[in-house]
Amino acid sequence: MPGPLLAAALFAPAANRSDLLLRLFASVVLSAVLLMLAHKFLRRRGRRVLIVAVTFLGGLLFTLEYFWPTHLVKGRQVNFLTDWIEPATIALSIIGAFTVGLGVHSLTQVHGRLLLRRRPGWHNSLAFFISMVAMFVLVLWDFSAKAKPSAAGVLPFHNAVYEILFNGIYQPLIAATFSLLAFYIASAAYRAFRIRSAEAALMMAAAFIVMLAQVPLGAWLTHGIPQAGPLGYLGFFRLERLGDWIMKSWNSPAQRGITFGVAVGALAMSLRIWLSLERGTFFSQQPEASVEGNSAGSATES
Amino acid sequence: MASFEHANWLLTLIFLGMSGTIVASILLAQRGRGMFIRRIPGLSAIEEAVGRATEMGRPMYFSPGLGSIDITTLQALSILTHVVRLAATQATRVIVGTADSTLLPVAEESVREAYTSVGRQEMYRPEDVRFVSGDQFAYALGSVGIMSREKAASNFYFGQFFAEALILTENGRALGALQVAGTPDPTQIPFFIATCDYVVIGDEYYAASAYLTREPTLTGSLVGQDIVKAALAALMVLGIAGATLWAGHAPHFLAKFMALLGAH
Repeated sequence: MPGPLLAAALFAPAANRSDLLLRLFASVVLSAVLLMLAHKFLRRRGRRVLIVAVTFLGGLLFTLEYFWPTHLVKGRQVNFLTDWIEPATIALSIIGAFTVGLGVHSLTQVHGRLLLRRRPGWHNSLAFFISMVAMFVLVLWDFSAKAKPSAAGVLPFHNAVYEILFNGIYQPLIAATFSLLAFYIASAAYRAFRIRSAEAALMMAAAFIVMLAQVPLGAWLTHGIPQAGPLGYLGFFRLERLGDWIMKSWNSPAQRGITFGVAVGALAMSLRIWLSLERGTFFSQQPEASVEGNSAGSATES
Repeated sequence: MASFEHANWLLTLIFLGMSGTIVASILLAQRGRGMFIRRIPGLSAIEEAVGRATEMGRPMYFSPGLGSIDITTLQALSILTHVVRLAATQATRVIVGTADSTLLPVAEESVREAYTSVGRQEMYRPEDVRFVSGDQFAYALGSVGIMSREKAASNFYFGQFFAEALILTENGRALGALQVAGTPDPTQIPFFIATCDYVVIGDEYYAASAYLTREPTLTGSLVGQDIVKAALAALMVLGIAGATLWAGHAPHFLAKFMALLGAH
């Protein structure tokens, strides 16, 4: 079949180092030329056509590969498009990697302006630049000259500084931020559980039962209720069983209901983008110019 | 190469049925068929939040979450476009902080187009769409820093959020901002409800662009979604009834039908 043969020819691993370098060079030159040509000759309408075409073909590849009938080859289910999926995924990752430069550019632009104009808080921007450059240099240095500790357990200077900056400062800062969540959860829970309406009272009662059911105290409080014998049916009112019933019979169905709705919503959104039906949102201007007439508070709402 | 999952005939049929319904509904709406959308308070609150920032003469902060370019984040950008248009008509600034560098150029383009669409392109400032950090908690703290320094009057959180959601919203609340949030993730919805003034939950999140713009394509899509959901609910009721009546011993004709569809 031509599909797998073409895929094999295009995506076979490089034979040696010079072959790899040649392919890299050719890919970069070809991409640059294609981008320059597109930028020079494609007008707004042409760009839109290109985006629509690439979006449709990309969606078509993944959709067809998933739904097309398969056959067994070397223990795995494949069809004529399977060999194209991994290269397409890698290509997406490469495009994503290029945008890291855009992120650095954005940060440099924002903090550079604050620093140059000596705006309030400029010292934070200075700290940002020092940290970014230091980590960039040290990560590259650490990566290119990774050395093992000496017999006395001493690391070379650059590895040691990297360890101190990353594992000694950055990671504890992140852990400290994460630990703040405990306090935020407590304050948010306090507000959520204030009884201001019948619904809030119901939620408070349910939460109280579920929380008690999770701890030994809950089980101890109701351990006297029989689970067997003529009054065994009362065992349902033991807190651990009541909590389990609330979670399984009320919470889970509600969560699944939300998940179903979200999945259908995501499908509709995907279809609109794949078929470029959502005109105006991402690729060009919205057909209608007025915002006020279409806003949430408009007369069409009921 | 990795092995990938594939659909069976039953799944293909269900997918075609659902997609066909949604596309048909869109086409009907595009031909002018009137469609009704119920009121969603969380989305109506966007106008109130923009108005508040305008009255106070302070900017707004919009967080599209931690997601990269996926369906959830694209929907967040769609809402961002509406917020920026609304803000532009009232000459109010919107600051956007992204956590994904891939998203940055798309967000910049969305914001620039939104300003242009209402004829206020001079209001667009490149530094208002920022890459904050790719790290979850560094992003949360960076965003809180922006809210605090810029004295944001209203905050919007739409997209994919995880543990950082509470850090963002609790600090936003402490700073006195009016907060509107929306996420399709059921695990984060309770945190938003506890800390934000208005919350868009579940599939309301995907109804946002239709609700806000009333564009026929989007309205049709929303109605199509509801038809599909009703069909799925009916299927579930039938399944429950079947499982209850036959208790795992399906009649011969039903078993044969399911086998024909390729169901396991």
